[in-house]
Amino acid sequence: MAEPRNLSRRAFLARIGVLGAALGGGGLLARGLLNPASGATNPLLPPAVDLVRPVLAALARDTLNGLTTFALPGPDQYSRTQRATSRTPGALEAGATDFMISALDNFVPFPDALAQPISAALVTGLADSGVSLPGLEVLPAELRSLDQAFTALLQSDEAIPLSFPIAGLLNLMATQVNPAAVNGLHLSPFARLTYAEKARAFELIEKTDSDLVALLDVHFPEPLKASVSGLLKFVGGALIEFATFGAYSEYGVLDRETKTLRKRPVGWTLTGYQPDGPVEGWDDFIGYYQGRQEVRD
Amino acid sequence: MRDVIVIGAGGGGPVVAKELAAKGLDVLLLEAGPRHAKPREEWSTFEEDANNPLTGYFRLGPTDRSKPAWYREWPQNSFVWQLSGVGGTTQHFYGNYPRAYPGVFKGYEGADRNEYDVEHRFPFSYSEMVPYFEWVEALMPVQTAAMGHKEQLFFKGAETMGLPVQTTKTTHKASYRPQENAILQPGGTAGKTTSSDLLVYPKATGCTFCGYCFQGCMRPKGAPRNQYAKRSTDNSYVPMALTAEVWSRGGKPAELIADAYVTRVHTENRHGVLTASGVTWRDNVTGEEHREDARVVVMSGGCTENPRLWFNSGLPNPNGWVGRGYTDHFFDWMIGSFDDYTGNPKGVGSSARLDYPPYGGLENVGLPPALNAFAGTLSDSGIRGQYKNGRGKTGPWDGPAGRVMGPELKELVAGGIDKLMTVLVITDDDVEAQNRVTPSALPADENGPIPKVTFNHRKRTKRTLRNREFMARKAAELLRGAGARKVYRIDWAPLILHVQSSMRMGSSERNSVLDATGETRAVKRLFVADNSALSNGLGGPNPTLTSQALATRTAENIFQTYFGGDPWVRSEAPVISTDPRISVRLGELGL
Ligand SMILES: Cc1cc2nc3c(=O)[nH]c(=O)nc-3n(C[C@H](O)[C@H](O)[C@H](O)COP(=O)(O)OP(=O)(O)OC[C@H]3O[C@@H](n4cnc5c(N)ncnc54)[C@H](O)[C@@H]3O)c2cc1C
Ligand code: SF4
Repeated sequence: MAEPRNLSRRAFLARIGVLGAALGGGGLLARGLLNPASGATNPLLPPAVDLVRPVLAALARDTLNGLTTFALPGPDQYSRTQRATSRTPGALEAGATDFMISALDNFVPFPDALAQPISAALVTGLADSGVSLPGLEVLPAELRSLDQAFTALLQSDEAIPLSFPIAGLLNLMATQVNPAAVNGLHLSPFARLTYAEKARAFELIEKTDSDLVALLDVHFPEPLKASVSGLLKFVGGALIEFATFGAYSEYGVLDRETKTLRKRPVGWTLTGYQPDGPVEGWDDFIGYYQGRQEVRD
Repeated sequence: MRDVIVIGAGGGGPVVAKELAAKGLDVLLLEAGPRHAKPREEWSTFEEDANNPLTGYFRLGPTDRSKPAWYREWPQNSFVWQLSGVGGTTQHFYGNYPRAYPGVFKGYEGADRNEYDVEHRFPFSYSEMVPYFEWVEALMPVQTAAMGHKEQLFFKGAETMGLPVQTTKTTHKASYRPQENAILQPGGTAGKTTSSDLLVYPKATGCTFCGYCFQGCMRPKGAPRNQYAKRSTDNSYVPMALTAEVWSRGGKPAELIADAYVTRVHTENRHGVLTASGVTWRDNVTGEEHREDARVVVMSGGCTENPRLWFNSGLPNPNGWVGRGYTDHFFDWMIGSFDDYTGNPKGVGSSARLDYPPYGGLENVGLPPALNAFAGTLSDSGIRGQYKNGRGKTGPWDGPAGRVMGPELKELVAGGIDKLMTVLVITDDDVEAQNRVTPSALPADENGPIPKVTFNHRKRTKRTLRNREFMARKAAELLRGAGARKVYRIDWAPLILHVQSSMRMGSSERNSVLDATGETRAVKRLFVADNSALSNGLGGPNPTLTSQALATRTAENIFQTYFGGDPWVRSEAPVISTDPRISVRLGELGL
């Protein structure tokens, strides 16, 4: 049974985290800023669009904090929330979230032609998945104005930072795993999950028969549809691998211009890698196995 | 009008360029990626700087790193690790140069002859290949690997398995040994000190055990480019091609243009025969297109890019095999954790191996922290202790296969990355039509429609799947024998590093793109010379030696068929790529 459009729309925005991030307890937009009256008179809502943009950026960062601490937990609040912490530095100390945002927004050569429809799907999608969300009523009612601003932004020809649809995907999955994640500490549903729940969210993404595209309700023509569906499975794996790579890499302390390190990277400290920094060589040459320096037929 | 245009300066292209430049032909070598002429200025030892697949200097993309990398579609959890740039994917390889197993060649009569991919053998015999192996081995040169602590530990494990030590170039049966590799053996102070003052050429020669093979070899410091320890083609074949006049009588230096993306192979109909006539390339910097004609065109863009170029050029594909039969050795990854120091990640990444025809093989691979973390989290079996993604096999390793990530990975490396030993599981995998490159439906990039690489890894042939399980068990046995306290199996999703056979050479017109000379069946004067030309996955050995031997043979065929020359491999001895005449000339050229 389809919910009335407004309700289902509200649920969807809550699930991808936008509603909570913008308006929920601790939300980034003061409710008064989104005055429903002005929304009704000005469909493009230019001031509200400017307000929504940083909300989306903050939502993406929060979601990715949830991801990078999943890859490398540390002594931070996100790790505490997932109930997998560690006393030694983790992803946040390593700058892994910045690594992910920089990569996604500037370097993943993901064609706009795809990012746009996926993002648009996150705008128009209803995702009536039958999961009932608790606590929707504590989220405020200024849906229409927010939604219009959101829609206006995503339908403009402004390039959508890829971190936004990625965050949307993770949050959608998060609320699938734990509907209660629409509310609580942090801005994003994904960051509110426990470690096991985050794993469960990835299980859903990776599952070979899951059809995320259907869930997103994106209408791609074939054969693009098959491509996008395959792509999302790739994205699931890549997010984990890439976040982990970033967390253990020199990203946070590397000066690219001078090719020097500002500090010892977290990944090196954690693994004891080259205690005195880069070398020209090591004294690790023992000899030749069984003394044999050459073979021939 | 050139004599020969070679597309791609990776593992294969420079071989043809060098061999034909030596014979005095006018050769143009076009490379899509960066030149990297000054490694000491352009490179570093940092994983983020070098190996970030989006922004690193070793990526698939143009020279300008502020521009995005070239996007490729793979519709499964996998990673195709190809590099652009002079040297291609050999820039970050480990220089392991084993020969293909004899069982993958025509006419093989060993007792296990029916156990290989019998439908897709090379269309000629192993003994016909041997002179080409020998030629490349002498030229590189290929030598027996020096041993560090991680190799010693690998051998300790191998010694418990009841296998002999291989002391020949040819692999006749299951056995283990130091790699034969294209790495100059350490000389002078190399491998004996950590003092950078002492590790300067010529006080140090050959491999200094720095451990940065994956970030590019530029050691020993101060050595001429052609005497850097690792013989990636940017350090070996390319310098030879560019200096052919000084080391080969009658030689003519090849011209190399980097940042030149070939977008089209041109053909014309000559007396009813479709014939290659030239190429168009695009300058990555200016976006300008250039067209040049040639008597012969050689495709050496690698297993993924050659089919793409073929499709984008609108060339015929009568039997449908262009892009099909892609093999990748269906790798897996095993991590052993030890109480004691293992030497990981010092020295050449991978200097010990175990061969197991007709199943595959094993080799050790030492990685720095971020790549080690990446390798531990690329899995088709979910996350250990959380979910299995329908797999999560159990066996002689600890617990189910799957990602070692998050808290578990942190704990694993907390003992020190040099208390790990990691083993690459290499599968002798079958050529299968379903594993292939096709044009992607995703939007084109500036060079045209992009390739899509599909691996149906869960549905590979019974033999392939059996071989992978067999070798994974052997890897666990080896790690336990070496004294591992714990052994983890990752069950890698396809990590496509060893690429072969997507434009395969074969004896049958029904399932091959190339005839036995390396020429394409559909277009005359068009040759393929790189890994994609290989007939199969070689039984598991790392592909570059065999690919370069085959490219040498193809160069001979080109010279004989279209330039009226004589073959040389059986009658001459090669000049070695470290030859001082090459060094001097490189110096004059500012290279
Ligand atoms: C991590 C790693 C370790 C490895 N270790 C080993 C090892 O120890 N031993 C071994 O034998 N093998 C190893 N390999 C495999 C080895 O790198 C390949 O066998 C080898 O590089 C293949 O050579 P190729 O010429 O087929 O392709 P590539 O080396 O990939 O070269 C293709 C080149 O063509 C260029 N190109 C493509 N399309 C175009 C175009 N349209 N126009 C112009 N230029 C184009 C590309 O930019 C590239 O430079 C390793 C690979 C990886 C990833
Ligand atoms: S370990 Fe040896 S071969 Fe590898 S980069 Fe260092 S010097 Fe070169």
